[in-house]
Amino acid sequence: MQSNSIVSAYAPPFKIVTKYFVAAIIDFVILNFLLMINYKDIAGFYFQPRTLAITHMLTLGWISMTIFGAMFQLVPVVLEVKLFSEKLAEAQFWIFTIGVIGLVTGFWNFDTGMHLNGSAILINISVFIFAVNMIGTFLNVKKWNITGWYLIAALIYLIITAIAGLLLSYNLWHPYIKTDPFKYLKLHAYVAVIGWVTLIVMGVSYKLIPMFTLSHGYSMKSSKWAFWFVNTGLIGINLFFHFKNNAGYIIISILFIVVGIVFYLYQIYLIYKNRLRKKSDVGIKYSMFSFYVLASVTIMGLAGSIFNTNTIPNFHILFGYLVFVGYLSMLIVGQMYKIVPFLAWYHKFSSKVGVEPVPMLKDMFNEKQALANYYLMTASVIIATFSFLFESSFMLLFAFSLMFLGSLIFAYNIAAILRK
Amino acid sequence: MITKDLKISKLLAQYPQTINVLINVSSHFKKLKNPILRKALAGRVNIEQAAGIANVDVNNLLSKLNNSINNIPDETNFVNKIDVKTDAGDDKMQRNSFEIDQNKVVQFDVRPIISGGNDPLKLILAKIKELNNDEILLLINSFEPIPLYTVLGRQGYAHKVEKEDDVFKIYFYKDSTLNAAEGKPVTHNNDDINIADFENITEIDVRGLEPPEPMIKVLETISNLDNNTALLVHHHREPMMLYPKLEERGFQHFCTKINDEYFKIVIVKKKG
Repeated sequence: MQSNSIVSAYAPPFKIVTKYFVAAIIDFVILNFLLMINYKDIAGFYFQPRTLAITHMLTLGWISMTIFGAMFQLVPVVLEVKLFSEKLAEAQFWIFTIGVIGLVTGFWNFDTGMHLNGSAILINISVFIFAVNMIGTFLNVKKWNITGWYLIAALIYLIITAIAGLLLSYNLWHPYIKTDPFKYLKLHAYVAVIGWVTLIVMGVSYKLIPMFTLSHGYSMKSSKWAFWFVNTGLIGINLFFHFKNNAGYIIISILFIVVGIVFYLYQIYLIYKNRLRKKSDVGIKYSMFSFYVLASVTIMGLAGSIFNTNTIPNFHILFGYLVFVGYLSMLIVGQMYKIVPFLAWYHKFSSKVGVEPVPMLKDMFNEKQALANYYLMTASVIIATFSFLFESSFMLLFAFSLMFLGSLIFAYNIAAILRK
Repeated sequence: MITKDLKISKLLAQYPQTINVLINVSSHFKKLKNPILRKALAGRVNIEQAAGIANVDVNNLLSKLNNSINNIPDETNFVNKIDVKTDAGDDKMQRNSFEIDQNKVVQFDVRPIISGGNDPLKLILAKIKELNNDEILLLINSFEPIPLYTVLGRQGYAHKVEKEDDVFKIYFYKDSTLNAAEGKPVTHNNDDINIADFENITEIDVRGLEPPEPMIKVLETISNLDNNTALLVHHHREPMMLYPKLEERGFQHFCTKINDEYFKIVIVKKKG
């Protein structure tokens, strides 16, 4: 039978996963440094070279990089299959990394010719490799679960996002979009943030949060409603964006997405309520903070699509900041504080359990330091929110400095865990 | 505090006074006063299974036991929720409408063996081995042998219970659907595990432990496991990441899904 090879193949590819994580964390530290020294350029209109560069450092270099690494680790465990190819994962890493560096420097210098477009092509190639790797893995899945549905949908939106991004970058080189290119920029952003990133976050958190909080005995119905509502909304947005006088349809689509996110948050609440482990460690604290921010940005997004929010200073930039930093980055940092110690422990010590004394999981890092890290980062998010609203660039500098400091501590902690 | 996974033997060794609680609950437990039977049976049965044998609610029994040692249970909630579903799984195996062909029945009354103070398990397993594929073993006993269902279920035997007065008649028959239905092994190398080859079964319950505690507990336990002992792990999910580590140490496993939150994994040393 299939026995030996299959079983050992479930062992997660530690080296590849850490490679992605380390690259993501380096990117996170650099981007926080850049935010800090360029704080004056951040407030204001969002279509600026530096804002675009930093946004893509966030979405590609940090968020997507982490997701890729996490997928190679989680998909085999969650769907009980072997990863299709570790070599593809390795190749994807290098092509993607070069593509991201190229894209970010391309935006920074607003070098919108070959430089930006070549990088966009590299990113598309790496996304394509990722898709092949995932589809190859999915084909062997015997038992599908709700997380699997989310992953498939997210993969489709990732491909749409990448292609749309390439088309937009080509438009900066040789303008060909006759109507309003910002319309397509919005589409690209919606599909990226909701379709790709949030669907992954949702699907994965249905597995990870109960694993960490030891929750059980709750209904998973809401997770299915969330899936259908968010996807219906996304399909609506993708369709109606191409029509004129579409405002009403877009609002309805956004409403669907909002309802889907409410279902998701309700599902998380159910999982959290049924937890056995009442003590919240730093990873769970980060995650809960992130879910509160998600609830806030959902309300903001809904308000922004119905009312005229131009009177609120920095509304769009604040919205983007909260989505990428308050919601997604805090969630990633929190999950990394859970996953990385476990991965490192599993890789280095699990074979020695019962043979010689091994460190416990809680000995892998200093929880107090991580907790200080949590307060530093969340304080930064809250201060930054007020600085945007009150247009105080000095306060913004303070907030970004806190986050930079926080990212350094975070990077130091993760490096210490990996070096154990 | 007393949990449902505690073996009766340990319970009685630690809190001798609880024997009266048990006898109050069901007169079946009078047998436990016989030291030989206590040795044979009590080591194999935990409180949950004992509750099943006596046909009483496990939580009820637990609270009585805990009260008798002046200890208030605080974790029973967690245990309860799982119980409900576990029972549902067992019922499913029991309730199916299998027609007993009386010509194929091999009868085995274990009551004299038990009254004689002996342990019938090995004889039962030997009987099962002798059966042809379409033959049915009819086991006659004075109580329901709940742990046996798991052991024989793993060999592909379903069971059907009839109760006449104080006598339980349990039919064990080969059921190929047992491998396709829910209570079936979901995993890979179950080819050559035969639980009857193992004299002892060690059980651990890692439900309610946070990763990687379940893995640590399993790996620590198997490092002390001898060749004649099988380890039965009660787990709240399928431990995919444990498997490579078992492989590494020359152990094989097979996993039975009871429901989404309850998996039983049998781990044994590989042969040769």
